[in-house]
Amino acid sequence: MSCKFLIAFSLAVCLSVVSASSCSNPKLSSTSFTTQDGTILTNIAYVSQFKLSCDGEPADIPLYAEVGGKPLSVVKSKETNEYVVSWLEETKKAPRGNFEIKVYDDEGYAAVRKAQRNGEDTTTVQPLGVVILNHPGAYNGPWINSELAAVIVAFAVMYYALTTKTKLEA
Amino acid sequence: MARKVKRNIATVSLFTMDNWLKICIVVVFAVATTGNEEATPAKLLFSKQILNKYLVEGMDIVIKYSLFNVGGTAALDVQVADNTFGPQDFEVVGGQLKVTIDRIPPGSNATHVVVIRPSKYGYFNFTAAEVSYLPSEDAAEALVGLSSEPGQGAIVPFKEYDRKFSPHLLDWLSFAVMSMPSLVLPYALWYSSKTKYEAILTQKKDK
Repeated sequence: MSCKFLIAFSLAVCLSVVSASSCSNPKLSSTSFTTQDGTILTNIAYVSQFKLSCDGEPADIPLYAEVGGKPLSVVKSKETNEYVVSWLEETKKAPRGNFEIKVYDDEGYAAVRKAQRNGEDTTTVQPLGVVILNHPGAYNGPWINSELAAVIVAFAVMYYALTTKTKLEA
Repeated sequence: MARKVKRNIATVSLFTMDNWLKICIVVVFAVATTGNEEATPAKLLFSKQILNKYLVEGMDIVIKYSLFNVGGTAALDVQVADNTFGPQDFEVVGGQLKVTIDRIPPGSNATHVVVIRPSKYGYFNFTAAEVSYLPSEDAAEALVGLSSEPGQGAIVPFKEYDRKFSPHLLDWLSFAVMSMPSLVLPYALWYSSKTKYEAILTQKKDK
């Protein structure tokens, strides 16, 4: 009797431990930030902060994230109870637009790594959630320098004046 | 015949006993050495980099923190805190200055990026951030470490940066407006007399 009870109890404990590391009804809410001045920076930073709630309560499970096939470090901020994902790109090569950050839990990420090792498509693994980060593009300076534009206008005026003068004299 | 067999058995068993002892010694040694490699506690290398060409008041400063685990076990409960940017002098616009990483596996790294904006200009000494982590699962105390220091940097006031780098469109426009009179007035005079002259010429031709 006690043996059976012990087995049942240990099974229940195991189940609860397993379910604690996975998330049911995950909800992600996020804010993002990207640096938008490329003239003084060597790298553009993409930062996304998100909150995960499982069944309406804030979660504290370890998470893994990936963007465009590249794994990202997920750090937690205890003060604001948020997860932060961040990465850098060189200013000249920094692409603009929407980036999909796929968030996985333990099992999901293990499945992704397994798929990568076997060479299978990783899109078959369902992430816990997808966070969209929009980068409107960094300002890399004006297309034409204003000094250059002024020189071009001055030359145009001078050219017109000289040609008209030679036409008159001829 | 029986005696020979007995001797053979005796020698064979002795041979294996001796060998067995040697095998035992080798196995124990191997286990000891491999056991030591696996039990190497986690050790984190921590670097802090400023990724800016210029440091300008009111414009973004991007800081990259990288942690690399050179030990044999995973570092647990890694807490990174950068207390060198006071809230009166800097405003955090992206990322957090105090973060926790659950686990850094051996031989792998973790990076974190923070974007701040200085609200004052002047010379600022970028000093180290702190990290504390558990070097193994059953470690009693957390190890504390410091990052690399980027050193001193000059945060330039916004006016100076603007003077050097902005396109000064308004200035060019006002220059164009001011240079207009010396160009437009003679042109207008010439044009009016030219049209008058041409009008007279065509009138004469018609006549």
